[in-house]
Amino acid sequence: MRLRNRFRNFADQALPIFQLAVIAIGVIPGIQALNGQVRPTEGLHVNTPGVFALTGASIHTEPGKVISSGTIVIRDGLIESVGRSVRVPKDAVTIDLKGKTVYAGFIESVWETKAKEGDGGGHRGGRNGGGTADKKSVDEHWNARVLPAKSVLDGLELKEKDIKALNALGFTVAHVMPHAGVFRGNSALVHLAHWGPEAPIRSRVTQTMAFESSRWPDRHYPSSLLGAIALMRQTLLDARWYEKAWNIYGKNQRTNEQPEYNRDLESLAADISAKRPFLFSASDELAVLRAGNIAKEFKLRLWINGNGYEYRQLAAIKALGAFLIIPVNFPEAPKVATLEEELQVSYGQLRHWDQAPDNAQRLADASVRFALTSSQLKDRKEFRANLARAVERGLDKTKALAALTTTPASRFGLGQSHGKIAKGFVANLVVTDGDYFDKKTKVQAVWVAGKKVAVAPDPMEDFRGEWSVSLSADMGGKRELILKIKGEAAKPEGEVVLGEDKTIALENLSANRDAITWTLPADSLGGSGKWRFSGTQLFDAASGTGLASDGNRFSWTAIRTAPFSEDKKDEQGDKNGDKKKEKPPEKASNLRPLYPEGAYGRTGPPKQPAAILVKNATVWTMGKQGVIMGGDVLMVGGKISAVGKNLSIPRKSRGNAVVIDGTGKHVTPGLIDAHSHTAMASVNEGAEAVTSEVRIKDVTNSDDINIYRQLAGGLTMANGLHGSANPIGGQNAVIKLRWGLLPDKLIEPRAPQGIKFALGENVKQSNWGDDFVTRYPQTRMGVDQIVRDAFQAAKEYDANWTAYNKSSKRKKSEVPPRRDLELEALAEILSGQRIVHAHSYRQDEILSLIRIADDFNFTIATFTHVLEGYKVAAEIAKHGAGGSTFSDWWGYKFEVIDAIPFNGAIMARAGVVTSFNSDSGDLARRLNTEGAKAVRYGGLTDIEALAFVTINPAIQLKVDKFAGSLEKGKDADFVIWSGDPLSTYTRAEQTWIEGRKYFDLDEDQKMRAEIKSGRARLIQKILASSEASESSGAKQGKHK
Amino acid sequence: MNGKRQLILITIFLTLAMMSLSGSDQVPAAKQDHPIVLMGGVIHTVSGDIISGGEILFINGKITEVGATVSRPANVEVIDISGKTVYPGFILAESTLGLTEIGAVRATNDYREVGSINPNVRAKIAYNPDSEHIPVVRTNGIALAQVVPTGGLLSGTSAVMMLDGWTWEDTEMPGGGGVWMSWPNMVVRERRSGQRRPAEDDPKKAIREALENLDKTFDEAEAYHKAIKSGTGNQKTDLRLAGLIPVIEKKLPLYIRASHVSQIKAAVNWVNRRGYRMVLVGARDSWMVTDLLKANNIPVIISTTHSLPSRRWQPYDEAYTLPATLADAGITFALAPGWHPQVRNLPFEAGTAVGYGLDRDRAIRALTLDAATILGVGDKVGSLEPGKDATLIVVDGDPLEIRSAVVSLYIQGRHVDLNNHHRMMNEKYKQRYRQLGITD
Repeated sequence: MRLRNRFRNFADQALPIFQLAVIAIGVIPGIQALNGQVRPTEGLHVNTPGVFALTGASIHTEPGKVISSGTIVIRDGLIESVGRSVRVPKDAVTIDLKGKTVYAGFIESVWETKAKEGDGGGHRGGRNGGGTADKKSVDEHWNARVLPAKSVLDGLELKEKDIKALNALGFTVAHVMPHAGVFRGNSALVHLAHWGPEAPIRSRVTQTMAFESSRWPDRHYPSSLLGAIALMRQTLLDARWYEKAWNIYGKNQRTNEQPEYNRDLESLAADISAKRPFLFSASDELAVLRAGNIAKEFKLRLWINGNGYEYRQLAAIKALGAFLIIPVNFPEAPKVATLEEELQVSYGQLRHWDQAPDNAQRLADASVRFALTSSQLKDRKEFRANLARAVERGLDKTKALAALTTTPASRFGLGQSHGKIAKGFVANLVVTDGDYFDKKTKVQAVWVAGKKVAVAPDPMEDFRGEWSVSLSADMGGKRELILKIKGEAAKPEGEVVLGEDKTIALENLSANRDAITWTLPADSLGGSGKWRFSGTQLFDAASGTGLASDGNRFSWTAIRTAPFSEDKKDEQGDKNGDKKKEKPPEKASNLRPLYPEGAYGRTGPPKQPAAILVKNATVWTMGKQGVIMGGDVLMVGGKISAVGKNLSIPRKSRGNAVVIDGTGKHVTPGLIDAHSHTAMASVNEGAEAVTSEVRIKDVTNSDDINIYRQLAGGLTMANGLHGSANPIGGQNAVIKLRWGLLPDKLIEPRAPQGIKFALGENVKQSNWGDDFVTRYPQTRMGVDQIVRDAFQAAKEYDANWTAYNKSSKRKKSEVPPRRDLELEALAEILSGQRIVHAHSYRQDEILSLIRIADDFNFTIATFTHVLEGYKVAAEIAKHGAGGSTFSDWWGYKFEVIDAIPFNGAIMARAGVVTSFNSDSGDLARRLNTEGAKAVRYGGLTDIEALAFVTINPAIQLKVDKFAGSLEKGKDADFVIWSGDPLSTYTRAEQTWIEGRKYFDLDEDQKMRAEIKSGRARLIQKILASSEASESSGAKQGKHK
Repeated sequence: MNGKRQLILITIFLTLAMMSLSGSDQVPAAKQDHPIVLMGGVIHTVSGDIISGGEILFINGKITEVGATVSRPANVEVIDISGKTVYPGFILAESTLGLTEIGAVRATNDYREVGSINPNVRAKIAYNPDSEHIPVVRTNGIALAQVVPTGGLLSGTSAVMMLDGWTWEDTEMPGGGGVWMSWPNMVVRERRSGQRRPAEDDPKKAIREALENLDKTFDEAEAYHKAIKSGTGNQKTDLRLAGLIPVIEKKLPLYIRASHVSQIKAAVNWVNRRGYRMVLVGARDSWMVTDLLKANNIPVIISTTHSLPSRRWQPYDEAYTLPATLADAGITFALAPGWHPQVRNLPFEAGTAVGYGLDRDRAIRALTLDAATILGVGDKVGSLEPGKDATLIVVDGDPLEIRSAVVSLYIQGRHVDLNNHHRMMNEKYKQRYRQLGITD
């Protein structure tokens, strides 16, 4: 292999190896080749000349700077000089690049690699009965997805094929990243040439992070996005603690127990201290913001391995100040040729198709610095075509070039060595036959550290084209043959042309530097058998010998009469009258991003008028004023200012006030759903029985269309709860349905923190199938014990911290307690800072949890579902808990066998603050009529019934100070109904939150019309685009 | 409002007080043994006028007279229902009532047989008349239900059951039901970019094979039918194929579950080609093909009005407005809420449909006469007219409103017990709080 390389091309010969990182620190006057490497020389020393002068090319020395015809001198891997009139050194080999363009070698900012096939990364570990597979070393982190000490270079072997594929795009350096885990380990920069000791430039470039979790049926922690984020937070805390613990221990060894040694925490702590970037892979714009939250909390230097959706949240993403690496993964045109196909395509998909190619341009216009990557493409070869499209649509070429060269170079700490063609910089170059951003341009070669890597085939090796062959023997009366050679240079195909339509395929054709051979069936030429040809090629001439079928030898010579052209097909198309239309240049999308992108998205938050006056309506205040017929509600600055009769707008607000005629209408407070899973990207972290460390607020999903649909049912607030897979689930997030705002703006900051508990069949895994019989607990008895055990641990944890915090002396000399997010959340329950919403069904389990709470001296806020609450309503009321139940669900599992729709009424009469909840994206749209079921089943009054979905859930969530009723000082969260809100015939007409109108029947109709016309426009655009016709053509071809 | 509430409370209380005398479970009502006149109510005949302050007479389980006044035969019991309304008993067009007790407990589920081709299995013989669900459902005015097997391509044969009786043979309403089929999925679902389909999946091939299998099954059934009819006696019995003979002979309809527009179109086309009778079930996208359904006179069972739009970009009220859209297009339809713990909400689904544009009379028809007609029992039930079964409800208000209550249910003139497990548990535990002195 090595021998062959030596003869392939002079410039290809391996240069002596040098340590670039050293050079990168500063430009050393005169280039000193570091001939001696660490490895002892085997046999003779190799000292290949490495001085080249590339002359006559158009040189882009850096983005925006071009020398129209200049010279680059390379010496021993570095650029010795560059300029218009540089003297060519006497010892240089001159390479004429007249007509060519040269750029600084590109940097591939993301290359996820597997060290070895089958290296699946972490699927070991687990805790609390998760089971362990491959045991890790004792000094490694307990979780198999926490691998921060791992270096991507460990065992890494880059395949020549993959390196070549990147070279073909102009890349000379790549940022290689580990591919598996939550903390994936350290990335590295490598030169994209021969894979060997000289390739790595630097390791420990970033700590690589991803929101990765196990997938069913693997149930190792984390098994959800919730768990992955919690694991990130806990591990980052642990790393900080670890550093501090060892510090203090080092100074006070005689009074402290030695902390465990852990290589992963040690390494991670070093990454944090060194301010190394944390590079998060983020699959959409919300994932970017999630990474941003973690970086902010732990003051990490944030880098993002992006996704192509960044344009959707430009401002928020820009505000992160993160370095973005973005792909050019433009979606294929959605299939819309038929109605049936179109129905499968959402408005968001259509709009993404139109806008995605503008992602980089929009980032550039917003002055966000980014690098471009060829990763995340189905086929890396699409990179240049897609980039060309982005440029055609208006992406500035200078910025595009910077995104491939100077921007990543400076971010990766290579700003003084890579990314430019300048004296002292590493001789990484891209040689093309024209403008790189024109997709017809070909990359001909790259130079990596002063060494040429041919990309386009060497003309000496390329046998393709039209040849005229002269034979010394007669072949069916012919001595002249016309050959056409096409296909891939390395794998050519050919034919003999006999006439207009008559050709004979060459058989066994092989063409390389050393030999050209083929056989030719002679019968169709009037001969017999097969004639065998062999020879050699020198540029446009070739010659050789042949063996006729009778064994007689002959000689032949050939001259190339026309070069190979890939566009032959098009010419043929023209001949067939199938004229290809000239494609008009693509234009940037004229769409303005919506949020959430797609149907019913908004361009911004609704306006808040200075004052709103609802006049002459039936006002259900849900407060002391009861129901006011012909009543008015006045709201100023997003708050309720007065409720009564004959109110008027204060003078100072009159300029910007909205008056709603409530005649014939009813007004109620915004409805509140005390049990919801809407707007959540992840619901259950079910891998463990206790997961109080996970937080719904980390996974709030503002993109959920059910937010809008529930607004259309009068809902304004929802309690986003963790699922019921485990006895102690995750922390909740109370949101207001501020549709169109980002997750952090949906979360209601005034709502107290809470947590989900669950009892009964779900946490016992009773209905999970026969494979789930080993996780503790499997009985209600065990549920009781695991909850008690967790609280006991939390109590001790809290005591430990309290004692530690009291003594300043201990703080100085004692290893501090470790912050444990799981126990911390439980300790917050014990101290009353966190309220419990407990999923429960049967009376026995309800009582048992009440007794636990009694024993640990706290109060359960609500029992949710609580379908047998009617059996122990007195005990629930005495304890002081609320009950949030389904109006009428029953019969779906054994523990609801005694569920009755009278449950709500009985609990309410026994003094329990009771609500009806949805636990369903659909049912949350009709909580008003759910309330009516408390009238039907149990005979509550209309007001008592509406309280079940307004003020009562507000009390349960402890948000009744500002929500749940129409009373002075509370938020202007209200609904205008077409009639009695408890009637099945009634519709919500308007839904307002804090004096902003988030839903309106008329506006909804307008949006429907916009969606209809918007879809139609985009579909027509797709049908008109040649992309669609091409793709369908290609598809047809495939089927043939 | 309070007056009305009190009335309901008193009514419920009296009903329950009466029922609790009859023991711990609901006893099927005895055959009607004397003529009954309900007088003074607002009678919604459905087939004819609404008669305010009218009277209805039924004898031996059949309605004999409806009008402003009716005759008073010997031994008649006259019940004053002034201030109340009378409707035909509601009909649940599709359910697994009696075939499942507790979804999560496998032992209680009898609605899905193994395999894909099961037209011969009969829902009625697995119908448990003692299911706790039955008294719960009928308390909301539902007198009849079509009981339906699910799963596979051909799920089985359904039956229409009266929701009171000692055995399944007592409770079956002859002539109802049909063979249930689930039209194969025809949609290749696109995934969000970045997500790739596993290479081994070939959804298009799967669709083609499913449709071929469908045709093959019916070709074989047609051949079987021909062989049997030929009288040669050569054809050995094949229970599966025999199960399709009522469909081939057009004695029973094929109930075809299809939601996506491509399924609906394909199903209608397929049925036209083969000449069977069809009822479309599910029908989520049917608003797109109302012309096709109307032209082919295909009735629809909508399941379910209380559901989310099927696609992100479709209007929030897509399912709410579907009944109104079908009504406007002149298509006959009935309703079914789907999930079995929810079926008692049937009348309220109709109420929502009215809120979203459906004519109220059409909503009532969908719960009564139209449902009866679709289910094949329209000659016996579904309207209040002489000759039909005295299967009717007395309501203290508008039955489509949640706050109304059904005060009486008659099935074939039998006065049905409206107590149920839920009401009994309610009474039981109310006692607990009285004993504790918390409530009166």
